[in-house]
Amino acid sequence: MEQFLRYWMRWPSVEAIIYKYLWAWGVAQSLHFVGMVLLIGTVGLLDLRMLGMAKQLPPAALKKLIPWGVFGFILCLATGIFFVTGIWANINVHPYVVLMSDVFLQIKFVFLGLAGLNLLAFYVTGMSKAVDELKPGEDAPALAKFFAGASLFCWVAVMFFARLIPSGKFQP
Amino acid sequence: MTTFLEWLENTTISTTLRDSPNIFLYPTILAFHTLGLAFFVGISSAIALRILGVAPGVPLAPLRKFYPLMWIGFFFNAASGLLLLIIEPTKFLTMVDFYIKLVCIAGAVYTNRVMYFRHFYRPAAIEPTSFSMNDKVLAVAILFLWGASITAGRLTAYDDGNTQWQTAVGTLGVSVALLVGGFICVKIYGVVRDALFGPADAGASRHEVASR
Repeated sequence: MEQFLRYWMRWPSVEAIIYKYLWAWGVAQSLHFVGMVLLIGTVGLLDLRMLGMAKQLPPAALKKLIPWGVFGFILCLATGIFFVTGIWANINVHPYVVLMSDVFLQIKFVFLGLAGLNLLAFYVTGMSKAVDELKPGEDAPALAKFFAGASLFCWVAVMFFARLIPSGKFQP
Repeated sequence: MTTFLEWLENTTISTTLRDSPNIFLYPTILAFHTLGLAFFVGISSAIALRILGVAPGVPLAPLRKFYPLMWIGFFFNAASGLLLLIIEPTKFLTMVDFYIKLVCIAGAVYTNRVMYFRHFYRPAAIEPTSFSMNDKVLAVAILFLWGASITAGRLTAYDDGNTQWQTAVGTLGVSVALLVGGFICVKIYGVVRDALFGPADAGASRHEVASR
């Protein structure tokens, strides 16, 4: 398993881009932030509506903003893969070492996974459909509120622990 | 001026926040700066997108309720930003990028206030179905200023002027490419979807207008 991860997590082609272009890492960082902003600005608003804020908003209409949140998530995912696979070029440490020793990165991944499972449960339990049918002023079902609260909590945790990653200890 | 900055950098609060290995100090301040940004810029951007025609079924008036949360995000950003400035004043206050960032943030705050007074302070009795060119220019200005603030903020992490310059140009180039590429992809998707399933948008638009 270790050999498999060590092989797939380090991409010399990505490292070459980072070595060659001074701007590559900084551009990826800016786009990572833009993606995060789009995700919170769209998914976060829907979560807040489900929790009872601005109840006059019809959730089905608010959902039309979600494709921008998906775009933001794709930006974060793409740049995140760029950071992991090219990190050797930036700090001279193998990404596998960072993954195995940086507790903040591990916690971030746990919350990312939980956010994904929460989203899956939101659809599987039929809450997504129930929320779509809400009229302006109507309260979301309790279970939908739980998913909305969990979603906000997970994304805030992802951002919080992501910012702590550089403070984690790398032990080769 | 330099003497003042050096004095500030050597105060107990500055040295403690900078040199302490405690993750609840510098890293946590940085994390709160990011969280504030996500909510402040995120909500502001969503409202700007709505003005630009995304999600036309979303009524404007209730969006007003999100403004307080947006300003709470701004408070977190300002407070954590001040602490981050105290940690390294000689670096930030002698850096052109930092001043560009501040100007862009001031511009974004101002344009957000203008937007608020145009549409949210006293919401129109009837939901507007379209927006003037001035509104759209204001929304684009908000999005642009946020993008510039984020980029300028990232640039402060680099000491080398050449890297900063290249990163700024690179960010602009990649952003334009993403916007143009995204626009083309959405158009192609619309054409393919309409060809396969018929013009679904027409029905959706009628429903949205009826639900207002």
